Amino acid sequence: MNNGLIKISPCFEDVMPQEYKDLVEQGSFGKNFGVSDLGSFKELIEEHPLCAGCGLALSMRLILASLPNPENTIIVGSTGCSALAFSQVALHNIHSLFGNQNAVATGLKRALKLRFPNEIKDVVVVAGDGATADIGLDMVMQSWFRRENITTIMLDNEAYANTGGQESGMTMEKAVLNMAPKGKNFPKVNLADVARVAGCAYVATCNPAKPRMLEKIVRRAVFTAREIGPTYVQIYAPCPTNYKLKPDEMLNTIKTREKDGTYPTSEYISSSAKELLERLEGGTNNEK
Amino acid sequence: MIDQRIVEPKHLFFEAERKKRFITGSEAVKEAIKRANVDMAISYPITPQSESMHLVGDLFAEGYLKEYFRGENEFAVMSEITGAAMAGVRVFTATGGPGTLRAFEMFPTWVGARLPVVCAFLTRGVNSPLTIQPDTIEMSFMLDTGMLMLHAEDAQDLYDMLLKAFIIAEQPDVHIPVGVFADGFFVTHTRETIEVAPEDIKLPSYNPYSSPVPVMDMVNAPVRQMRDPFVMKSNFISYAAHASWQQEVLAAGERARKHIDHYLNGLVESENEEADILIVASGTAVSQSREAISIAREQGINIGLVKLKSIRPFPTEEIRALTKHAKAVIVPEFNRVGWLAREVKSAVNNSDKVIGGPRVFGGMTMPVELILDEIRRCL
Amino acid sequence: MKNKISIRMSGLGGQGVVTAAHILGAATTLDGKFCTVNPFFGAEKRLAPAESYVRISSEKINERGEILSPNIIMIFHPHVITMGKCYTMPFFDGLHKNGKILINSDEPLDLSQEELNKLNQLNAKIYYVPATRIATDIGGTELSTNMAMLGGLMGISDLVSYESIQVAITERFDGGNFVASATTAVLDNVLKSKYNEIAQLVESNMKVMEEAASVVKEFNFASSM
Repeated sequence: MNNGLIKISPCFEDVMPQEYKDLVEQGSFGKNFGVSDLGSFKELIEEHPLCAGCGLALSMRLILASLPNPENTIIVGSTGCSALAFSQVALHNIHSLFGNQNAVATGLKRALKLRFPNEIKDVVVVAGDGATADIGLDMVMQSWFRRENITTIMLDNEAYANTGGQESGMTMEKAVLNMAPKGKNFPKVNLADVARVAGCAYVATCNPAKPRMLEKIVRRAVFTAREIGPTYVQIYAPCPTNYKLKPDEMLNTIKTREKDGTYPTSEYISSSAKELLERLEGGTNNEK
Repeated sequence: MIDQRIVEPKHLFFEAERKKRFITGSEAVKEAIKRANVDMAISYPITPQSESMHLVGDLFAEGYLKEYFRGENEFAVMSEITGAAMAGVRVFTATGGPGTLRAFEMFPTWVGARLPVVCAFLTRGVNSPLTIQPDTIEMSFMLDTGMLMLHAEDAQDLYDMLLKAFIIAEQPDVHIPVGVFADGFFVTHTRETIEVAPEDIKLPSYNPYSSPVPVMDMVNAPVRQMRDPFVMKSNFISYAAHASWQQEVLAAGERARKHIDHYLNGLVESENEEADILIVASGTAVSQSREAISIAREQGINIGLVKLKSIRPFPTEEIRALTKHAKAVIVPEFNRVGWLAREVKSAVNNSDKVIGGPRVFGGMTMPVELILDEIRRCL
Repeated sequence: MKNKISIRMSGLGGQGVVTAAHILGAATTLDGKFCTVNPFFGAEKRLAPAESYVRISSEKINERGEILSPNIIMIFHPHVITMGKCYTMPFFDGLHKNGKILINSDEPLDLSQEELNKLNQLNAKIYYVPATRIATDIGGTELSTNMAMLGGLMGISDLVSYESIQVAITERFDGGNFVASATTAVLDNVLKSKYNEIAQLVESNMKVMEEAASVVKEFNFASSM
């Protein structure tokens, strides 16, 4: 994006909403802000309608603050709680249908390559676990098989939350939720392993209680997708509403789950991605 | 690849000297796309469509298209087409029968997202037991998706309608998808003589910034799209926003009439319309009717014909006017449900005079004798 | 349309029924006539029933799809009749009065008395041509059976010129514009591999046709009624 494009025409200054003026004057476009700068700039997501204590809300805030080039990033979402928040995001973002996010992202990315062959246009999919691991799994995996240059981020709240708390493929075994009234009877799907086998060049899992690590992972995933091939990031984001947690218990829940090994943090970097990331990160401190 | 120069649509459609070619309907698709300046096409196999998209793939290999690949199923293909169209390129795909139904959720979504996609539907049966044979029943399901629907009678129509569909779909006051329908096998696999424009000319490229909704390329300035997401906040504003959006999409379809009228020379074509008995048909049912009419004429029976080229928007006013004085209106169709007869009945002043039939389905062609039987019953 | 000739070709997948129809159609178009060609088949499989429909007229042809009342029926394989491998039953269903039937067989087939009676009532003419044998003996390959059948057609009718047929065969096999289905393309390659150049393929096929035209034999109803 040409940053000049979001300058406000002087004759409109008096009628533009304050929040748009703030985005132009204090937004993150072209500034290379990161999660450490949160609180000092106008964020891309604000006033979203997600529940108090929602793991997705925190994760999305961190993801958007971590994007290396927000001024040239297009987000593709899917039906679910995250979709409700994306209408509040000041980036081009697409919500097409439930489950087709990676197919939409494929067409989008290939078309943007045609129109802007010499410019960076990052396409980042951000969708829930129902969209990614259940209804859209075939299209998610096919985009990996085809080695599409897109980043897939799954916000894993282990349920269909927007529809009232139904069991999903990512729900833990034995958990009782709607549509699994006697408890889920098969294990949580290990999508990170699937992603690696299916051709992702970079795969990582983490949680929003570790903002700096999440930032590093998102940036690595976006850089690798831009240059090499598909990348997958899984972010554990508990759902207080459907798992009946108090909003202020979210971070503690993450820490407990991390300790008991059900929220594992992991990173897989293919050899070509490793070469790229070493070159980009240059051995300097990238923990910003 | 031949060097092509960009010409005005009207030159390509109406002025350029045309050459005769003895080709199939599938090859007519290739000839249209070759001149359509398409950026990207996405394919998925299904009989009787596959050959068309093989040939579009050949165009990609020859350099006429910039991007082409096989998707993983029709729902995914239509989703990939969505992403590409939202990024601002001209896209093309084709499907038919079960593929149409597999992809179905995407069609109203294209319309609501105001994407000027052109999709060829090369129709076939969809019921169990499995059939690959011709049938237009999928058009019945498509009627209320909001897409514009053109129905080709033969390979010539298919060629012309596909090229014109891009220009109609991309009008800023329309900007909704167009489905060009042709009967599988009867058009796709039939070899006949058609006339095509020279190979060295093509349509102007698509201008993504003529879109009435923002292109998703982060070149347009981004804004928060909605303060209150529609689905979650069920309040008066969200209802009103939804309703007005749908009305605007409907209006876009209505605004397409004048463009279809201009480029296709009318939503309908008619001959001998003062006759007491009229046949109203679309697709290859028109061809079969022409044959029946010529046999009837040899027997001294005068029959008129109304060929519907546009199914959506539906030529209600045209049909009402043309059938005003007819004593009987015969609607032959290649499907069991008789969707066209229903549509025609809703358009004519006295629906009792509409005879829904003959109907042929299961893959067999429509025997001309069946149409003649209906004609004789009306005498 | 009074001057329209409708030809129904019934055979088995792989016998070149579609190709024969294409060549006939392209040739009549070269002769300045109107023509449409319709193939009709289910799954693309060798030995499955395959039919092609050719309509030839001096006026524009509207009707499409399968031909229900043919003037000429061409049977590319005895199994079409003996094993019901066709889309119409009996194989001559809808044949015009005074219609013609051309059958690929070395010997007359054992048609039932009922069938012979019906054909006799239609004043039909049955012709036999040993198309596969001629294709093998003269063309050196069974794949020229369809050309021998076209030769047989030349022997019993006056629909098209040899010159146009020759041009149509050359255009059909000389790469360029023709679009073949995958299975047809495989057979095309087998056929082309038998010749060093297209000219040889065309010459050989023209010989096959001429031989078939000269040996096609009318079946004498009286002898079997």
